[in-house]
Amino acid sequence: MRSRIRKNRKVLQAMLALRFHGLTVFRLDFFAPFFIDGSLFAIQLLAFSAVYSNVDTVGGWGRGEMILYIGTFSLLNAVSMTLYFFGVCRIPDKVKSGELDLYLTKPVSPLFRLSFENISPGSVPLIFLSIAILAYGGRVAQPEICGRSVAAYCFWIAVMAVLYYEMEVLLRSVSLYLVSSARMDQLEEAGIALCMKLPGIAFYGVYKVIFYLLLPYGIMATLPVQSLIGEMDGRLAAYGIFVVLLFSGLTAAVWKRGLRRYNSASS
Amino acid sequence: MNNEIITAENLSKRYRRYKKREGLAGSIVSLWKREYEEKTAVDRISLSVSKGEFVGLIGPNGAGKTTLIKMLTGIIAPSAGRLQVLGYYPNDMKNEFKKKYAVVMGQKSQLFFELTLNDTLRLFQAIYEIPEKDYRESKAYFTELFGLEKLMDVQVRTLSLGERMKMELMAALLHGPEVLFLDEPTIGLDAVASKQIRGFLKEINERRGTTILLTSHYMEDIKTLCGRTVVINGGRKLYDGETETLFERYQRNKRITAAFSEPTEVLWNAEEPVRILEDSPCKKVYEVPKEEGKRFLERLMSYEPTDIGIEEEEIGTVVERIYEEGAHA
Repeated sequence: MRSRIRKNRKVLQAMLALRFHGLTVFRLDFFAPFFIDGSLFAIQLLAFSAVYSNVDTVGGWGRGEMILYIGTFSLLNAVSMTLYFFGVCRIPDKVKSGELDLYLTKPVSPLFRLSFENISPGSVPLIFLSIAILAYGGRVAQPEICGRSVAAYCFWIAVMAVLYYEMEVLLRSVSLYLVSSARMDQLEEAGIALCMKLPGIAFYGVYKVIFYLLLPYGIMATLPVQSLIGEMDGRLAAYGIFVVLLFSGLTAAVWKRGLRRYNSASS
Repeated sequence: MNNEIITAENLSKRYRRYKKREGLAGSIVSLWKREYEEKTAVDRISLSVSKGEFVGLIGPNGAGKTTLIKMLTGIIAPSAGRLQVLGYYPNDMKNEFKKKYAVVMGQKSQLFFELTLNDTLRLFQAIYEIPEKDYRESKAYFTELFGLEKLMDVQVRTLSLGERMKMELMAALLHGPEVLFLDEPTIGLDAVASKQIRGFLKEINERRGTTILLTSHYMEDIKTLCGRTVVINGGRKLYDGETETLFERYQRNKRITAAFSEPTEVLWNAEEPVRILEDSPCKKVYEVPKEEGKRFLERLMSYEPTDIGIEEEEIGTVVERIYEEGAHA
């Protein structure tokens, strides 16, 4: 296990170096993401402020908690875009073109390589912007923050980043079973777009089942914020861990079974 | 001692493919009632390859060559049959197994086109866990062998197809694989580049003892390199034996093309076993039995052609003949 971690670290370093070399070949490729990702981020914030300037509370959360929520979702999104989004989103294309063949014949996990070979340094500023929003939200909400609640928040951010990754992989793994999987991207986009604006506590009934269990985007930023503002109890924490473990197992099973079913495009 | 490193018994691969009736009605019906047909890409092939062998795998398009290579490398799982490569079942996808072989696909590149080979090789060093000393030695050996000294720091996308193929081979061989699978490595290459690639492969097989399994459409690749050839068509093995015997027995004709500076009529005896494929005033193309080739050529030279071309029979013709005659090695 330790030697595997050491090897993956070395492969990750080599992929990072290659990615950096690749991005510096064309200067526009290197600088454009800083501008484009920053602009998209600003648009999301403007949309949010337009909606919430006229709303006092959402599901019992005031403006401060909502800013913390938006900052948390942005942080998860930024971590995803920096680390794995641009790798994972290419999985269906690689399956369709048969390029996956070359990943399967190399002695390193194909999913690991696919996930982290397109790390995006251009998205790093979004992480800092998200942290700035969190700091602002903290000032507005003025929750009782202590070292323990910050540690709990960091823990839930790490756990939910894993869940976010699993969801991305799971939806792209469908391409190993079906020829056309474009609708999966739309499902993800719709889920993220909605849950970025509305925290999980605002969902009831069937919507709660959908966004707390089937497409758990509703808990991704909600649980970390609840842990920070002291709204998390043992049952909620256990539920969060249960969902992450459930999706870990599901993603691993769907991916592995998909690879066994993979027929490879004709050359 | 058992020297076999690849053993396949009754290996099959079947696909299910969707069939749709023509037109709008067919499309609408297909939403509820799907029709599938089974396509057998590889049909009960048995094969064994010994250490150090250079085996050619030939057959027309859709014969099942690439599917067979994909099963041998673990990319796809067989539908039936037994398979062992280097003591492993390939589709288990064990990393120890993957370190022992390499695959080069003529139509799929493992290089990063915007980067240089030097940069790319560092990734492969990490993936294959090659110690620094071995990495440097191996890189130096292949750089010299392939004559790539001046191209190591050049963007891959700016190189010719032949240069890129040398780089593909170098990237594949860097970790010293025991078996090398080559799927159409000379596809699209010109005569000079193909000849160079053949030279390198011969050296790697002879000097390093690397077992090589090569699929190709080009007779020249097979004739020059492979001591043994396996012919497959329609997923079935038609011939498995010495390459020399195969060509002696089944490649019976030569195609001779003659060009003349002015309209010429070539006279020949009607009983001669010569087939005219093209007969224009200044260009003639003949199909001549191999044993008649010399005599026919001597007579053709008396008409003082400006150019003469002699070609081997196409792979498809040879396969057809083997199929018709039901060959056995």
